[in-house]
Amino acid sequence: MTAILAILEQRNGSLRKGAAELLAAARQVADQGGATVDALVCGHGPVTGLDGLGAAGADRVLVATHPDFANYCPDGVVATVAAIAANYRAVFVAATSTGKDLAPRVAAHLGATCAMDVTSVVMAGAMLRVVRPVYAGRALQTVDLAGTPVVAVRPGSYAGVAAAKAGAMDHVTVPAFTRRLEVTGIRAPEKAALDVTEARVVISGGRGLGDAKNFALLEELAAAFGGEATVGASRAVVDAGWIEHGAQVGQTGKTVAPDLYVAVGISGAVQHLAGMRTAKVIVAINRDKDAPIFKVADFGIVGDLFEIVPALTAAIAKVKAN
Amino acid sequence: MKIAVCLRRVPDTTTKIVIGADGVSINEAGVKFVPNPYDEYALEAAIALKDAAGSGETIVVALGEDAVQETLRTALAMGIDRAIHLQGKPSADGLENARLLAAHLASLNCDAVLFGKLAVDDYGQQTGAMVAELMGLPCATAVAKLEVSGGRATTEREVEGGVEQAGCALPAVFTCDKGLNNPRLPSLKGIMAAKKKPLDIVPVSAGSGQVAIVSLALPAERAAGRIVGEGAAAVPALLQLLTSEAKVL
Amino acid sequence: MSVVLPVQYQPPLPASMIRRDQPGAEAIELDVLVVGAGPAGLACAIELHRQSPDLTIGVLEKAGALGEHTLSGAVINPVAIRALFPDLKDEDFPFRQRVDHEGVYYLTKDGSTKVPTPPTMQNRGYYAASLCEVVRWLGEQAETMGINLFPGFPAESLFVDGERVIGVRTVPSGLDRAGEPTDVFQEPTDLVAKVVVLAEGSRGALGQAWRSWRGVGSANPQIFALGVKEVWQVTQPLDRIIHTLGWPLPAGAFGGSWCYPMGPDQVSIGLVVGLDYHDATLDVHESLQRMKLHPLFRPILEGGQLLEWGAKTIPEGGFYSLPDRLSGDGLVMVGDTAGFVDVPSLKGVHYAMESGMLAAKAIASALANAGTGDAAALSAYDQAVQASRITSDLRRTRNIRLAFKDGFAVGAIKAGLMTLTGGAFPGDRIAMPRDADVPRASQPPAEPFVPDNVLTFSKVDAVFKSGNATRDSIPSHLIVGEQVPGDVADFYAHLCPAGVYERQGDHLVVNAPNCIDCKATDVLGPRWTPREGGSGPTYRLM
Repeated sequence: MTAILAILEQRNGSLRKGAAELLAAARQVADQGGATVDALVCGHGPVTGLDGLGAAGADRVLVATHPDFANYCPDGVVATVAAIAANYRAVFVAATSTGKDLAPRVAAHLGATCAMDVTSVVMAGAMLRVVRPVYAGRALQTVDLAGTPVVAVRPGSYAGVAAAKAGAMDHVTVPAFTRRLEVTGIRAPEKAALDVTEARVVISGGRGLGDAKNFALLEELAAAFGGEATVGASRAVVDAGWIEHGAQVGQTGKTVAPDLYVAVGISGAVQHLAGMRTAKVIVAINRDKDAPIFKVADFGIVGDLFEIVPALTAAIAKVKAN
Repeated sequence: MKIAVCLRRVPDTTTKIVIGADGVSINEAGVKFVPNPYDEYALEAAIALKDAAGSGETIVVALGEDAVQETLRTALAMGIDRAIHLQGKPSADGLENARLLAAHLASLNCDAVLFGKLAVDDYGQQTGAMVAELMGLPCATAVAKLEVSGGRATTEREVEGGVEQAGCALPAVFTCDKGLNNPRLPSLKGIMAAKKKPLDIVPVSAGSGQVAIVSLALPAERAAGRIVGEGAAAVPALLQLLTSEAKVL
Repeated sequence: MSVVLPVQYQPPLPASMIRRDQPGAEAIELDVLVVGAGPAGLACAIELHRQSPDLTIGVLEKAGALGEHTLSGAVINPVAIRALFPDLKDEDFPFRQRVDHEGVYYLTKDGSTKVPTPPTMQNRGYYAASLCEVVRWLGEQAETMGINLFPGFPAESLFVDGERVIGVRTVPSGLDRAGEPTDVFQEPTDLVAKVVVLAEGSRGALGQAWRSWRGVGSANPQIFALGVKEVWQVTQPLDRIIHTLGWPLPAGAFGGSWCYPMGPDQVSIGLVVGLDYHDATLDVHESLQRMKLHPLFRPILEGGQLLEWGAKTIPEGGFYSLPDRLSGDGLVMVGDTAGFVDVPSLKGVHYAMESGMLAAKAIASALANAGTGDAAALSAYDQAVQASRITSDLRRTRNIRLAFKDGFAVGAIKAGLMTLTGGAFPGDRIAMPRDADVPRASQPPAEPFVPDNVLTFSKVDAVFKSGNATRDSIPSHLIVGEQVPGDVADFYAHLCPAGVYERQGDHLVVNAPNCIDCKATDVLGPRWTPREGGSGPTYRLM
């Protein structure tokens, strides 16, 4: 075992967040096997933030520069990685939309196996042992990978480490490649109303809102999440005509399963709970500390939603701005 | 236009997962199997592309054991012209499966090869891009928009904070995401017609690859919730928990 | 205390279920069309294929996949499935386990007394099964024979020409709540066939429409029961099948419960109540929830987990409620649609299959001889049923269920005499009113039942466990009477096991997407009509 290659993402000359996490995952595995970690950044000009990568766990930082790397260029990155792959025991990427696109291409090019959305990776003898969610997270698979596997590490799985590493900079040559896919740019997402069954974040309101016009508070909170949140509602307020029917959560056997579900002024009638209890994280805001919603919520705040929701909106907006 | 779609048969997404006696797979007793939902976007896209071109052929290809023929028939009932069953047990290593598919797809000489962006059983999210790489074809993954004209395709896919736009020449491989279209349901006539459409069986044998499944386990039960605090003063604490503990922000 | 007379608020089924217009030019042409892929419909299709392999046979099914709307206890007498598959052994059938031990208990609120098993209720040598699984298996057999199965396509109406049934129109899908097409709208499909086999199950809508159009009555009206069933994962195997009488039902209700083993780690448990009960606040779902806490059942379920929940009506009228005719020009009725259920033995599945097979033989010979399904040729099916064990079994027990119309104590004595005399006592037919004609006394609200979410569950949680897959935004398929007063709304709310009906103030609130097609209110109140294919429950274990 020699080294692990961690491919980091940049956009417009800035490293994408998640670099430290990915290096932490690579660092831990490398330390198990006495190996080193190389970080590879593909860009078309200077990339800011590279000087911090040593402290985040990279022994070396490799920079590949090419005019086509102004946008994500999978064919070029694959060619670059393939040219240096012989030096590596494994290739790590972050399981972002870019990493998920890249990982199988690299793997196929190297004749390697690819493990996606890995939440844990360790050495197990001569193999890499990874854990990854399958069946939409309803089961966890543990897999041993031989060869030079490409491992896409799910964001949020590792906390950054503080390492006293050199992070020496080096340049790698981008070999000639054929740009088969031409990424032309990234446009802003349309502001389309997300369906409650599709949104990553659902902000739901119930009778505690007191009036239809107070749904505006929830719209503001949803907006603070950017394009990934939408507003839902309990059946009581849908029936009362406060919000359209499509927003309803928990009428029949259908469920919503967002990453984050925020129940505002919803007491938690069972029909509602049946519809949302498969959410990954449930937050409840309610005046009544004995409301059933608190029994299923991961985190609850008791109190006046008209104070709490605007405060939360401001806080989320601040996080998202960073 | 000649378009192939690679299809997987997967447990219905509402299936209650029970770990099988072997400890590495699910207990399939009583489980309802359906076409992989993302593959339905690919099937719909294939039919729409052929319709838009005015002529051509749509072919659905599936690697799997015999039960996958039922899923192929569903694709035929939706309106796909013919089916190829690569008959054999898929490997746990996605690359081995991609190699089999690539080898057979190469002989079809398609203008486009479509996949779902992922299969909802193993969440491997790799076969389409691997097949493209093995075939030396351009590939756009997780496309929510796909337009073809003059031998070129333009695509869009969702990335963090935006929509990535790309283009490539045909032939090419695309993996399809939600939002691309509304897949049609098989019609009664389609179900009848599907029985008469060709379904060719090609025995294959997937290599064992470089993957060994060690175990399959259920995730830990949801921990009991907690009250973070009272009033707006509790918001910073909540945010801390959502960021560092729950990691949903 | 007020009295509710259900029939006063019950609207009729829409007349549009009988269509006199022509099927569309694009109509699919079949030799035989079976409506309903249950045990009766599939047995009919399979036997028909055996009789005449060249016939084009289609089977419409409203569930999204085979078996997803199928529910039964079930302990199955294997006599019919053996006859349908004479080359197979019992081990080849998808049964869960053989019945070797059984017990019948009389329950009080806190205790139970084992009573001798009545001769009609002996089940040793029969098989505990999930009827969903049996239906899925039958479907696989039919599919391999080349029979066209169309799951997800409910029949909406019958095409008729003169007195003859000539085909069926399916329900369109992809409509919004206002009935406007959405972008996944799919038009209805017309199918024409020489013979239409109605195998819709209990309280089928087309069967009702056809009988009312053709004036096909019966000596007694059909009466129904509502069964609510749960399947549980349990920690240890149940060693016997259990039937109970008495608590939690009031004296004025006929019914009982069961608990059957389904292999080493599952049981089914359920409660069945005749819909001629007298108490407007009786609630079968809630009664089952209370019953699970009884010392007889609690130890079986404790530590276990509710896997699936469902509900269904059962035609209970027996011999005197059978239709005067089972066939007409271009049409036959089989299974529960015809009412082939023997209540004293709690059996219907094998009669359903047998009726399907008898119908298949009559249809095959009618088509072979005349090429059409004329009433005269299809009446061979009526004669075959009359000469079969279906009729002899139902005749033997013809008055037993009816004896219970005035309550349990008197009924039990009469039933004992009837069994002893092989049905000769009391000789004459006991006349029964329609269920909807039985007045219900509204009681003041009892103590509300609070589920513990461990052993007991609310109706909405129950519907969740039925796997209800109905789109929330489809048009309502329930036809509700006008100006339903508050106490009637209350009656519906208790009657419906799926929480479709609620009383809010003095108003009736209808949550149509909750409906799991049990048809209980079709018997006593708001009418059920077919809706978008694939709606309703998605049973796997029922």
